[in-house]
Amino acid sequence: MQIAKSWRRQPSNLRLEGTRCTGCGQLEFPTVIRCAQCGEIEFETYQFAGKGKVIVASTVYEATRDFGEHVPYCAAIIELEEGIHLATMITDVDPADVTVGMEVEMVTRRIAAQGDNGPILYAYKFAPQLQIL
Amino acid sequence: MKIEIAGVGTTKSAEKWELGLLDIAIKAAGKALKDAGSVTPDAVIVANALGGALGDQQNLALHVAGGLGYSHAETYSVCCDEASGGAAVRLASALIRSGMHDTVLVVGAEKTSDALPDMLETVRSAGLDAAREASFGFSPTIAGALGMQHYLSTYHLDKEAFYHIARIAHQHGSTNRNAIFPWALDRKQYLKSPIVATPLSVCDNAPPCDGAAAAILKKGSVQTSNVCILGSANTSDRKGIVFPITSLQLPAATQSATMALKEAGSQLSDMSLMELHDANTFLAALSIEAVGLAQPGKALERAQTDDFLLTGTMPLWTFGGHKSRGLAPGASGMYQLVEAVLELRGDAGENQITNANKALVQCLGSFGAQAVTHVLG
Ligand SMILES: [Zn+2]
Repeated sequence: MQIAKSWRRQPSNLRLEGTRCTGCGQLEFPTVIRCAQCGEIEFETYQFAGKGKVIVASTVYEATRDFGEHVPYCAAIIELEEGIHLATMITDVDPADVTVGMEVEMVTRRIAAQGDNGPILYAYKFAPQLQIL
Repeated sequence: MKIEIAGVGTTKSAEKWELGLLDIAIKAAGKALKDAGSVTPDAVIVANALGGALGDQQNLALHVAGGLGYSHAETYSVCCDEASGGAAVRLASALIRSGMHDTVLVVGAEKTSDALPDMLETVRSAGLDAAREASFGFSPTIAGALGMQHYLSTYHLDKEAFYHIARIAHQHGSTNRNAIFPWALDRKQYLKSPIVATPLSVCDNAPPCDGAAAAILKKGSVQTSNVCILGSANTSDRKGIVFPITSLQLPAATQSATMALKEAGSQLSDMSLMELHDANTFLAALSIEAVGLAQPGKALERAQTDDFLLTGTMPLWTFGGHKSRGLAPGASGMYQLVEAVLELRGDAGENQITNANKALVQCLGSFGAQAVTHVLG
């Protein structure tokens, strides 16, 4: 059950694939079945670029089950370049150093293990954009 | 058509190790039935948000009806996150208004103390968007923390500003014998309370607890002296935690309150008290602004005054709200309704406000994406 769920969400979780509405061009992430703007039910796969900016961030000390291993970690709302707002974890940086407006990019990371014997979920997190010197 | 509230009852908000989910539901129902005198409901509606997910009794309404000894009642279980209580009352009203039934028992019940805290928070998160929020570890508490942070930076406030929300709730809860934390909260305690997710601390969050609250709804008679439902609305908005956090607005709460007031033929200023949804101080502040008690960004400024106290111009959380009385998620809306009824009947004891004529009661589900409002009088 959990394995099928992880498999089903792979395109969005590992490749940041969403949908572009063939009717009105609306972009959605993750994928949608029916366009809430125009009612269209046909979509093209849309590959999000995986770059964005932090809108607001929080350092989490008490996590939900399966997320305790990450504590303390940074939970944030970011805005993707394409305008979508996304709830995500910010990684590869001290949570206290995450600032509003910080430019971040998608990375693939371990999100949670479902119990001792369950599958491990890998998916997107966001990390500060690498500066090329 | 008028709908009367003919009887009410609650259990004490607590960790009740000796009683199960079904037990507390029947206990509250028994009190409401006794309060109403001799009535036999035609239907039983039970509000419960987490029981199924926590592996407890499912199809709860059927089992409550059975436990009460009713063999021919129509039963429905309502599961609308923390808006379950309000939604159940609205459904009961619809059954009565349609002419299908004359008397309906509504019970809200939740049993949280059988689950470990991280499990409970995980199950509470299931009311959010499962694919993009809950499965990434986001919970109502983390959403509240992000909302608080954005509120503070947008309106250039210090965290201390949120203290006043908790202060008012605890001041009112301090005289409520049914509250789980019946004590006043001073500024020092608030500021020293452990951080759950910055900037939100333990004192910003309503404590989960076991609890049940019930009411008997009846087709109203013209000369009734009972409190009546004058207006109601149940509205939804886009799902997800992102919109309230980034926009600092709760459109469903605004629309629901506006529609319920309109149906009641009332203005906001006609209300003698309000019970708003204070699952955390952030949602409480947004609710105050959403129903029109403060301009955007001004809820905390108004909370610093005496306006929202029992002796103020618009008392809020008259028995301590979820913050001090305790948060029994699926029952929370029923607690709010019962407390408002007690105020309007003049049965609120030490928590009684003067000249209680009308009340607005609003509960929120799924971090404000659903809002149910009742206007009572
Ligand atoms: Zn479209």
